[in-house]
Amino acid sequence: MTSYTRTEPILSTFLHSRGAALGLPIGGNFELTARCNFNCPMCYVHLKPEDVQARGRELTAQQWISLARQARDAGMMFVLLTGGEPFVRSDFFEIYSAMKDMGLLVSINSNGSMIKGEILQKLIDNPPYRINISLYGGCAETYERMCGPNAFDTVIENIKALKAAGIDVRLNVSITPYNRCDLQRIFELAKELEVHTKASSYMYPPIRVTGDCGHRLSPEEAAQCAVEWDLLRFTPEQFAMRAQNMHQLLAVENKECSVDPDVGVSCRAGSTSFWLTWDGRMLPCGMLPSPEQRPLETGFDAAWKALREQTRCLRMPAKCVSCKHREVCSVCVAVCVTETGSFDGVPEYVCRMTEETVNATWRAYEERKENGN
Amino acid sequence: MEIKKQLMKRQVAGETFLVPLGKAVYDSNGLFFLTEVGAFLWDLLEKAESEEELVAAVLAEYDVDEATARADINAFLTKLREMGIL
Repeated sequence: MTSYTRTEPILSTFLHSRGAALGLPIGGNFELTARCNFNCPMCYVHLKPEDVQARGRELTAQQWISLARQARDAGMMFVLLTGGEPFVRSDFFEIYSAMKDMGLLVSINSNGSMIKGEILQKLIDNPPYRINISLYGGCAETYERMCGPNAFDTVIENIKALKAAGIDVRLNVSITPYNRCDLQRIFELAKELEVHTKASSYMYPPIRVTGDCGHRLSPEEAAQCAVEWDLLRFTPEQFAMRAQNMHQLLAVENKECSVDPDVGVSCRAGSTSFWLTWDGRMLPCGMLPSPEQRPLETGFDAAWKALREQTRCLRMPAKCVSCKHREVCSVCVAVCVTETGSFDGVPEYVCRMTEETVNATWRAYEERKENGN
Repeated sequence: MEIKKQLMKRQVAGETFLVPLGKAVYDSNGLFFLTEVGAFLWDLLEKAESEEELVAAVLAEYDVDEATARADINAFLTKLREMGIL
């Protein structure tokens, strides 16, 4: 008759699935600021204070709290506070505590450099559901090269302090020309820290800021880094299985009649999750420049309803849908529009990256087989 | 009965959940799901002085025999105690 279980990951999936059917905004991403104490060249959000002023105005704490309350009443359960660097806001804890008191599961994205002293203590006293730290390198020199300030030692100390307090920490790694030499070290560091780590070598063009793609790897280099990371994180058996699965997926011919040409947004963006930019625009995800809504003007409910409708109309390019690499490619509508400026555009960078990922994975698999691994 | 942890009951997507507040995140780190009867019992817990009261309330509300209700309520309370909630 009665069950009472702790199964959060399953419940999260369940909630999003039920939310999709009912049109509920189960997850919200709140980009509290575009400001940051780092200056990473590939960042898709970071603006200098003078640019922030020129482009708009950061929402006040009360505005964020009001939007969170409306979203909570509409069904939001999970919220991610992100930036820029959210801790640069002096009123961060006013927003954070209010959201926690609303009965939301609050996660935080941070570069980790400011989580010490009073900030650390406040988090220990009122812990988040999770903190995702962006780890930019495996040594001080790389941090200096990529982020500006040399905060490596501080970040590592802060991660250790969060872990020691029992707070759930995850690491996100963006692989770029500035830190690719550290890949092995980053992996070892994550292992030493005993923190789950996710790495990505695909960087979206930062179209919301400069649009300058000169700070990311070439598609082939990005693919090679992705495979290097796979070789590090997977056991030989797992890697072999991955290579074989890829091979099998590519061997399946896409017969015309079996391809559904009508493929839209396949993730949660605009279906059960939304993104609020630092200046108050609601987007399906932080990468998509449009469609957008203005919840401060229309109210959350109307904005969410309109965003869902608009997102439902987005479509993938026909060429991507019928591509032989479709099953192994991470293309999505956000990739298409950020890479090409159009939802219809085929993102050549990603085509090349996918092709090289497949080839490099197979080469590594064959090499290992020859060497008896 | 004394509820020891800070948990907020919320209804989302037609289901009932308990969300940990404050430091309760450390012990739970996620959501708890309550069935319909679990949610019914949860509302009564704080004011209830004994298990008998809960049994009487369930029998008055649901079409269930006493032995089943008693066994289920006992299992529910035992689980809550094991998790340090009661």
